[in-house]
Amino acid sequence: MVGSLLHPLNIFIVGLGGAFLIPLLNRLGSRWVASAFIFALAAMTLMSGISLLEVLNGSPPIDILTGGSKPPYSINLRAGLDEAVFAFGVNLVGLIGAYYFLREKYGTILIYLLLIMGIQGMVMTRDLFNLFVFLEIVSIATYGLLSLRDTPEALSATFKYLMATVLASNFFLIGTILLYATTGLLNIDDLIANQQAIAGPIGFAALIFLLASLLVELKPFPANGWGLDVYETARGDVAALISGGVSTGVFFALLKLLPLFEGQLEIIAAAGVITFVVSNLIGLQQTTAQRLLGYSSIGQIGLLTIAACLLRLANVDSATFLLIAGGLFINHLFAKVGLFWLADYVGKARLQDWSVLKSRPAAFLAFAVLLAAISGFPPFPGFWAKWQLVMVLAQDERYVWIVLILVGSLLEAAYLFRWFGQTLHGPVESQTARAGSGALVPIFALGLLLIISGLITSNLAGLNSFWPLIPLAAGALTLLIAPCPAWVQCLTVLGMALLGGGWLISDVTGLNGLFAVLLLAGGVTIAIASLYRNDTRPGFYPLLAVLLLSLPALPRASTTLEFFFIWELITLSSYFLVVRSRDAQRQALPFLLFSLVAAFFLLAGFAILHADSASYSLSALRTAGPNSAVVFVLLCVGLLIKAGAVGVHVWLPGAYAASDDDVSALLSAVISKVAIFGLLVGTYVAIRSEVSLQLAHVLGWIGMLTTLAAAMMAVCQDDMKRMLAYSSMSQLGYIVAAIALMSHLGWVTALYLVANHLMVKGILFLVAAALIARTGKRLLSDYGGLAGQMPLTFAAASIAILAMSGLPPFVGFGGKWLLLSAMMEKGWYGPALMTLLATFVGFLYMARFIQAIFLGPRRPDYADLEEAPAALLTAQALLIVGILVMSFFPKVLIEPVSRAIDPQFASTLVWQGMSLEMIYGTWNPIPIMLLAVAVSALLFGLFWYLQHAGLFKDMARRLARNLSPLQRFYAFCRTAFGVLTPPWASMFWSRVAVTADDLALCARSIYTGNGQIYSLFILYYVMALYIAAGGLRYLWP
Amino acid sequence: MISSIVLITGLLLILIGLWGALTHRNILRIIISFSLMGTGTHIVIVAIGYVKNGTAPIIDSALGLAEAPQRAVDPIPSALVVTAIVIGLAVTAIMLAYAIRLYDTKKTLSIEALMESRW
Amino acid sequence: MRRASIVFAITFFGLLFASVAINHTQSVSLWPLARSYVELVPRELGAPNVITGILLNYRAFDTLGEVAVLFMVAAGVGLVLGRQPNPTVADPPETARPSSEIVQIATRILAPLISVFAAYIIMNGHISAGGGFQGGAVLASCLILWLLADAQFQVDVKLLGLLESVAGVLFVLVGIAGLIFAGGFLDTRVLPLGQLGAFFSAGAIPILSLLLGIKVGCELSVILARFRA
Repeated sequence: MVGSLLHPLNIFIVGLGGAFLIPLLNRLGSRWVASAFIFALAAMTLMSGISLLEVLNGSPPIDILTGGSKPPYSINLRAGLDEAVFAFGVNLVGLIGAYYFLREKYGTILIYLLLIMGIQGMVMTRDLFNLFVFLEIVSIATYGLLSLRDTPEALSATFKYLMATVLASNFFLIGTILLYATTGLLNIDDLIANQQAIAGPIGFAALIFLLASLLVELKPFPANGWGLDVYETARGDVAALISGGVSTGVFFALLKLLPLFEGQLEIIAAAGVITFVVSNLIGLQQTTAQRLLGYSSIGQIGLLTIAACLLRLANVDSATFLLIAGGLFINHLFAKVGLFWLADYVGKARLQDWSVLKSRPAAFLAFAVLLAAISGFPPFPGFWAKWQLVMVLAQDERYVWIVLILVGSLLEAAYLFRWFGQTLHGPVESQTARAGSGALVPIFALGLLLIISGLITSNLAGLNSFWPLIPLAAGALTLLIAPCPAWVQCLTVLGMALLGGGWLISDVTGLNGLFAVLLLAGGVTIAIASLYRNDTRPGFYPLLAVLLLSLPALPRASTTLEFFFIWELITLSSYFLVVRSRDAQRQALPFLLFSLVAAFFLLAGFAILHADSASYSLSALRTAGPNSAVVFVLLCVGLLIKAGAVGVHVWLPGAYAASDDDVSALLSAVISKVAIFGLLVGTYVAIRSEVSLQLAHVLGWIGMLTTLAAAMMAVCQDDMKRMLAYSSMSQLGYIVAAIALMSHLGWVTALYLVANHLMVKGILFLVAAALIARTGKRLLSDYGGLAGQMPLTFAAASIAILAMSGLPPFVGFGGKWLLLSAMMEKGWYGPALMTLLATFVGFLYMARFIQAIFLGPRRPDYADLEEAPAALLTAQALLIVGILVMSFFPKVLIEPVSRAIDPQFASTLVWQGMSLEMIYGTWNPIPIMLLAVAVSALLFGLFWYLQHAGLFKDMARRLARNLSPLQRFYAFCRTAFGVLTPPWASMFWSRVAVTADDLALCARSIYTGNGQIYSLFILYYVMALYIAAGGLRYLWP
Repeated sequence: MISSIVLITGLLLILIGLWGALTHRNILRIIISFSLMGTGTHIVIVAIGYVKNGTAPIIDSALGLAEAPQRAVDPIPSALVVTAIVIGLAVTAIMLAYAIRLYDTKKTLSIEALMESRW
Repeated sequence: MRRASIVFAITFFGLLFASVAINHTQSVSLWPLARSYVELVPRELGAPNVITGILLNYRAFDTLGEVAVLFMVAAGVGLVLGRQPNPTVADPPETARPSSEIVQIATRILAPLISVFAAYIIMNGHISAGGGFQGGAVLASCLILWLLADAQFQVDVKLLGLLESVAGVLFVLVGIAGLIFAGGFLDTRVLPLGQLGAFFSAGAIPILSLLLGIKVGCELSVILARFRA
């Protein structure tokens, strides 16, 4: 009895009966209406939830019969797995969203109820004409609800919406009846079974009319101006229903009819991809929140359409299908609906006015969560779905589709996170958000649902262990203690990082183990420095917790999925850390976008690897497949972007310079090493094939070019953080080159340099933090003579600079010596020469750093400067201890490194089986280093001469008035290197951005606002479909 | 033959409706055009259901139970068209209601006055 | 330019429709599904009117949905038009000239006749041509007559709304009765089928027909009345 009460048929009985009852209940009082309304929605949700559980437990699809007969005589409906997921999702959102409608008139409430019921009818029905009836129920309910906003714009938009949807539903009706004319059937299952009967001009026209109608209802580009206008002008909660509910119903209708369109699948997918890419492109040009959300909405539905068609073509099993389509759907539903509700809560149309959210941290948090979800970041369902989708597409060799999907996703992330930055940094208004905080509860509920569904999807996607989630759990815990003082939060984070991180790295061995230790120790040490700030820094500590725990988790990853998941966690948490800084509004976005591009390259690489080896294990990288060169290139490009290689480095200096000072230290010292770790993991594959070894040579050149160019650019900087940023980039170049050597010695060098750079750059950025904290100045030229005031900081900086420059006896010496040895061993004379050059240029900027800040005449305004804060000094001291240990006991590092690396090369024998001791023994470091010093001295002299000889004189003179000889020399160097490193890269990338903006402007010019033009577009859309599907042959018999 | 004539009539009505909806500026005329298109579709439905020499599928003295399957027209399109007509009416009613509201707020019935949101 | 593109589009659709019309052949016999309906409805439902049988039993789910559509339109039109800011400005019923005596008297004579005709159509839906929708529409035409003839005529929208709600709820209840006492939701064989062609026959179809007639009549009337307000 209970079972039959919860049968999905009752969804419709409750929906219809409830709606019919509402006017009667209204006589009793509005309280009755509200209770019945909530009761009906809750009952519908419960029923669909129970059916979902039932089919999940393996029971066959639940059939819903009407009229006491079997199909095809009477209408039947079906709740299978897909249906149950979609229906339950819509019900859940309907139930939560009912909050916003409780105080409406009873007429609105009954329409709302019927709308939710109608969507489920569209999802479940198996009768074509019944589908039309439900489509009309949904449409008419929407027309009714759209009247809730009564502005002239809203009325105009609704009328255009009416015109378009009436046209579409007429086409649906024509299609249905023509289909009946050729087959005599209305039952969808029968139609699919007899689809060979759907032939000839009539059958073909029928299919195209049906298809066009459904596609048009999904608002495809370019026939979607009417939909956008409604998204823009409707009340947010109604727009949410259209975006999340109505589109869902129509999409599912398309999904269930797809078997009829077997021949048109690629065309439908193409329609989807055009919509996805172009909508997201035009999104770049939007200035109002709801219209922007509209574009995003339309794009997401486009993505769903692509997925549905291509998965069908790929013949995936139903579990995979559900993971991808269901994941994308749930993600879109919850996130987009949440954002539309948030739009109502904020009550501001223009994007720039959303900064009112800043005064409401809770709402702001929800905003961030929803944006991250839409952009496909973990742990939300969209992330897993996109991952799986790309895997399937790669297996099916649909590379162009992958590229287009990733481009669209990138564009979407671009405008969404630009919006986020604007909101975070917009002008503060005193006026607070409009609605009461009760309106936030449903939005939070959706955020929570997103997280829960994300965790469920993660399991389906194959993430079976819980440890990758530890960083997120730590972040959530830290969020709970947000009211505590900053130092409590910071200490908690450090404690969690040590405990959790310690556990995470406990059973990681080999190279990964080394990296895990390095990343954890480096991260925690530098994070100690964060104690120097005692302001509240909202959001900082939870993000720090996520970051600190993700770093050691990365080397633990054994599958590509785990790796990519944690990789994205690092990307996201570091982006949020960067964007928090007031100066970072402009820099954070390139940081995120380049990181995303990098991640997409990794994703593509992993996908092809998976297609090659049918394995998600990272160890598959060690066995070469047919496409291993492609995998190698994709991974390398992604990782080089993340490492800031020359040409794709434009995000790096800005992000490092604009972040909070302790975040800069983390970025440069620790987070950048993540890319290096990736390179070490990702290039195993290169050793296996001749092609890839040649590519590795290219990689080596790129590394050295980066080193040299970045060093020269570092000399040109006056902002000390920018200088350090370029220096960091330069040092990473060395490491990349060392890895590219693909030899045992090269890799030992790389790890050695990694450790060195981690400690050195950590100290230097913390020195910068201390200086900025004490003086508030960032330009080198504003400093001078601080050695007396800040002796400890001076000492730390000096040790770091010495260690970096490669002078004996510090650790950098060993590093550079190893690098040169390794290059000579491989016969890479060109890169070796560049190493020498770069070493020289490095001397210049490093000496300048010390000289300009600590030496020279003291500035009068710094007379009573204090030593750096204790927290910063502590962190620096720890790092100095590390440097000293490594300098004087190099074996402490080199031996485990050597042991860890040996097995990778043992079989290929690029390395000739000698132990490191023997290398040390046979190679004499003195001549090489003497050579290096000599070359540097020579170059130094050459430059000095050139300056005196008058080359670049005019330029130098302009800069060099009233300067000391040393300063004049630096001014000269800056000019010279400025000429040598033209800003081609930044010009190129800003050109790309401008072009995207121009394209967007151009594409959106079709949206003239005229309803008749929009209708005409629909007609042309039908025509295009008809012709694309090959209909011309029927027009000229 | 009969069904072809009816079918062509219906299709022509649809075309006329499309033409009107795209060319007229007056919202009321546009609504009438859509209505016309709907009617055309209904006529097409009826035409599809016609069977040669058929009569209404109602069993009475003129149409015996046994001969009904041979002599009746297809009852399904007739059933569908009833539903379709009602839905068409519903849509027209909603459109007219919006037209009234639009006239109230803008004091004009021109479709060109509805261009506030674009791009 | 725009005109040309419209002409082009319409021409294309004309060609498309032409290909449909040319290839359409008048059917000479029923599709199997339609044939079984013609056989099944009189035999299993006891209704001579096959179309009514389909509408109120086999495809009653459609009918229910369609009723919901009308129901929503009645509410929706109320929502759209209920927001008019200043109904006091120029109240037409006060100023309009009363219609002539002939019209008024004719209305009074015709209205009962139309109502009776409507009732006949509704109640004979299962036996001969007719049914709830058609009858409901005729019923509403009676209201149009009143509205046109008498500017002062006031429609009790509340009462009509109540009626349509009750009819709707009853319709669903009859459906549930089918679920409990017969083969499934909306199965009309909850009552004896009676003799083919008799007034009291065809199970619950006449009841559904009646409810439908009332509901459609009320809904159309409500919509019309809202338009005048």
